[in-house]
Amino acid sequence: MSDAYTGPLERVDASRWRIPKSYKPQMRVDGLIYAGDELMKTVRTDKSLEQVANVACLPGIVAHSLAMPDIHWGYGFCIGGVAATDPERDGVISPGGVGYDINCGVRLVRTDLTLPEVQPRIQQIVTDLFDTVPCGVGRGGRIKFDRGQLRRIMAEGSRFVVGEGFGWPSDLEMTEAGGSLPDANPDFVSKRAFERGEDQCGTLGSGNHFLEVQVVEEIADLQAAAAFGLALGQITLMIHSGSRGLGYQVCDDALLELRHVPQKYGIELPDRQLVCAPVNSPEGERYLGAMRSAANFAWANRQILTYLAREVFAGLFKRSAESLGMRLVYDVAHNIAKMEPYEVEGQRRMLCVHRKGATRAFPPGHPEVPQAYRHVGQPVLVPGDMGRSSWVLVGQPAAMEQTFGSCCHGAGRVMSRSAAIRAAKGRFIDKELLARGVVARARERTGLAEEQPEAYKDVGLVAEAVQAAGIAKKVARLRPLGVIKG
Amino acid sequence: MTPRYELFDHTADIGIRAFAPSLATLIAPSTEGLYAVIGDVVAAGDSHPWRFEAAGDDTSLLLRDYLAEVLLLFDTEHRRLTGLSVAEFTAQRLCVTAGAQPVDAPRSVLQREVKAVTYHALAIRPVNGGLEATFIVDI
Repeated sequence: MSDAYTGPLERVDASRWRIPKSYKPQMRVDGLIYAGDELMKTVRTDKSLEQVANVACLPGIVAHSLAMPDIHWGYGFCIGGVAATDPERDGVISPGGVGYDINCGVRLVRTDLTLPEVQPRIQQIVTDLFDTVPCGVGRGGRIKFDRGQLRRIMAEGSRFVVGEGFGWPSDLEMTEAGGSLPDANPDFVSKRAFERGEDQCGTLGSGNHFLEVQVVEEIADLQAAAAFGLALGQITLMIHSGSRGLGYQVCDDALLELRHVPQKYGIELPDRQLVCAPVNSPEGERYLGAMRSAANFAWANRQILTYLAREVFAGLFKRSAESLGMRLVYDVAHNIAKMEPYEVEGQRRMLCVHRKGATRAFPPGHPEVPQAYRHVGQPVLVPGDMGRSSWVLVGQPAAMEQTFGSCCHGAGRVMSRSAAIRAAKGRFIDKELLARGVVARARERTGLAEEQPEAYKDVGLVAEAVQAAGIAKKVARLRPLGVIKG
Repeated sequence: MTPRYELFDHTADIGIRAFAPSLATLIAPSTEGLYAVIGDVVAAGDSHPWRFEAAGDDTSLLLRDYLAEVLLLFDTEHRRLTGLSVAEFTAQRLCVTAGAQPVDAPRSVLQREVKAVTYHALAIRPVNGGLEATFIVDI
């Protein structure tokens, strides 16, 4: 049985495609997919477009069910999906629109180090990072927190751990939402979720999570790059992780608790993974309080990972992290739901914006963009794969008009994990990466095989697509030098 | 039909199909399929008694809820189930007892972190004189 999409798909322009709401009787809005011709060839091969149509059935959805160019098949929502719902018009919150890894996200740290200083020592740097940063299945953190501290992490996020010495005050300014969502309620987080995450704050995890040492290889926008503190030949660190077991369990608990809620509110759904509750309902508020707690946990997690990486660099280069210029450029969530104001039909409305594998991309002048970047816009961090490159983009005004301030979050998989393992049979991915100038370390060979560069779309095509649509602009391309994975 | 499982492709995640002659005998290959995604999970040492019991109205949801508990046990207590015994599996009730044995970390090869047993494509259906359970885990 083929998974290929066979429903209607109309070209809107060179970078957008529409699934008309006439496709399914339950659809309340059109689906709108951002992708160029080349990307659309692979998008059509799985069920992700069907998922875009399913999300269009959610009560209270506004404008469109959106998908970014890194769209691929998820569960309930596609990866790369964006949906805004209006709580004043029966709009719902759906845990499937956030995902299991709540506030999975990316942060970028710049340094004053240059390629000639780092290239000769990259093996040692990667080894020390691998030995210092807990990663892999079942690995607990080096830094332990008791239950009281965990509650504060969930309530306060990065602010709490920076206060404990695991970062600098400027880190908070350069983190989306200051690394702390208000209205988090740890009382709504189950004992099971506490247990699943209790030793995991400050751990990388496995799968597609990574810590990467990179060099700035191309500058596309000098003004924005200068504002972000990026220059050619400079070394950066990129960290990709999320809320670990705590977030997975918060999502799983919510899906169980909400199982019969759609019937209670008379909501018909095409896929039970889309289970939801009205934003303004006791069930919706309960999930939001727990989800925000997990999101804060994730920001604290990435903050501690940053602290550990700074310690490694300071130790190796015999200089403090401050004197190495290891400043946080930005930290963005790409699995989250947030209340944000937008113009809808001429009225300013507070919407619940689901971003499932999609990054916030606010334009110049937006009040939530840090003061130092407000003249250029919010950094959008788009990791690619281990062998090619990642992109730093910057949010543009069209994002506010078209995509509820949202953009792509990565390259997007093009090969399943099993297919990647089959393709890697008899090969040594770490040696192949080394031949391309990338030192890679992972707990298991399987992880490297599943995450090999060929398993992903070319992130350059994804960046081109969002730039062509005007929702973000290219700033800098980063080439990997070394990577650690779980 | 001999109980067995197989893994199948899903773009970002991994799917498991388990086959068995009856609902009760589907539990063991489904459980083994979940462990196979995690890696080679070897158990050793003293086990403690473990029990799962839930009521419902859908066999596939009961199976998912059971597997979610198996995953939670692995994640929080680092234990693997052995000696599974299914007292009852109907659309209304699932009751499983087993021993929960510590994972022998040095002898195990843990390849993947399973975030969750999802509801996506979740199903139990009749095939060739037996039953097939399908579920996808988030990696």
